[in-house]
Amino acid sequence: MNSLDFSILLQAWPYLWSGLLFSLALTAAAFVIGMLLGTCFALVQHFEVPVIARIVRAYIALIRSIPLILVLFWFFFLVPIVLGHLYGNGRPIPIGATWTAFITFGLFEAAYYSEIIRVGLRAVNKGQFEACQALALSTFDTYRCVILPQVIRVASPIILSQTIILFQDTSLVYVLSLTDLLGAASKLAQLNGRLVEMYLVVAVVYLAISSAASQCVASLRRRYPLTGAHK
Amino acid sequence: MQHEIATPLADRSPTIVVVENLVKRFGGFTALNDVNLTVAKREKIVLCGPSGSGKSTLIRCINHIEKHDGGRIVVDGVELTDRMADINGVRSEVGMVFQSFNLFPHLSVVENCMLAPMKVRGLSRPEARERAMDLLRKVRIHSQADKYPAQLSGGQQQRVAIARALCMQPKIMLFDEPTSALDPEMVKEVLDTMVQLAAEGMTMVCVTHEMGFAREVADRVVFMDQGSIVEEADPETFFRAPRTQRAKGFLNQIIH
Repeated sequence: MNSLDFSILLQAWPYLWSGLLFSLALTAAAFVIGMLLGTCFALVQHFEVPVIARIVRAYIALIRSIPLILVLFWFFFLVPIVLGHLYGNGRPIPIGATWTAFITFGLFEAAYYSEIIRVGLRAVNKGQFEACQALALSTFDTYRCVILPQVIRVASPIILSQTIILFQDTSLVYVLSLTDLLGAASKLAQLNGRLVEMYLVVAVVYLAISSAASQCVASLRRRYPLTGAHK
Repeated sequence: MQHEIATPLADRSPTIVVVENLVKRFGGFTALNDVNLTVAKREKIVLCGPSGSGKSTLIRCINHIEKHDGGRIVVDGVELTDRMADINGVRSEVGMVFQSFNLFPHLSVVENCMLAPMKVRGLSRPEARERAMDLLRKVRIHSQADKYPAQLSGGQQQRVAIARALCMQPKIMLFDEPTSALDPEMVKEVLDTMVQLAAEGMTMVCVTHEMGFAREVADRVVFMDQGSIVEEADPETFFRAPRTQRAKGFLNQIIH
């Protein structure tokens, strides 16, 4: 057994960096798509929109009860076949690993963010809605200017926790042969045989980023305590 | 549209609110049973009665926060119905102050006051800010304009809530037990604000047990019990010589 040798990092660094950027880009995209879609899903349920609310509930229940890796496979293998039947002569239309990753993570996270926001909506004091009614605010302005900002604030620690999990889960794109941080490390490890060093280094990078984000969660929790935040 | 047509008529009319044969049920419980009430412009009415008597429900029906089950409510010449397209046209003329303030916790004091004038009245940000500061000055809280509600005392928060409602320049103000959630030493500052508002000629309907306020300000005291109006009189008569046994019993209890 050789002793640890981190000098290979000097060569490895640019490739690892590009992997990390992909992980962060995927996290950011899934966060934005997930939050926008998740907020819509939560509002649809909150307003009990006929039919659509039921479909959304079924979707969320489904997504939350199957592993992310399975959803990735579905999208990667099934969606091209479905597209082929819809728009072609039955031959699969590949959508590519990168698109698969972005779409799947966005749709997957939407289910989780939606649950967070739905619970947050229920936690808003009834008096806030009444004050908006009394001030003649439209439903749109009520939610946009009063209700949702409060929900996001109160739920921000949980939203951020979910995003940390999302960041770690992006490593699953490994199965699509995409080069995220973990993917980059494992490819390098196989090339140069330095498995221990490479996996140690990526572990430290994940640890650093996730724990920095956790610190943010802790400070948010102090600023906006979950119960009785404001009257 | 309906509202715009109705306004000229309403302006000539001496009344601002007409409630006729009002019925409101919560499930099997009848909260309001055949209530009739007319509020004249510039009139100040104090609604009192034991808890559960329907007084809060009555004023909440007047701006349609509660939907009534029977009878008629006409506010500023417009009848409130479930089918009406523009309930907000009526609500924008009716200010309301709640027992629990219901300020927006994520907005500063001045922003609380600016939101509805900008969104509903279409004021620009500087116009809304100027109006908000004027009214915050009037309730003597302009020095706290950039603080957040949680940083203020209960009495200060309630004065902000009054200013916020006034920023819409309502034709009538509804007060739903505005001092009940306050520590005793803060009651006076809120009542003083309300007295000042009354002196300026605002039409007011106040649910309150503050009998000193009622004596000083009210043109009429309306006593409710079990969902009905039991007695109506000018404050002097009501407090000195209540006609009904129920009013006598109620007054005995609150004077203790």
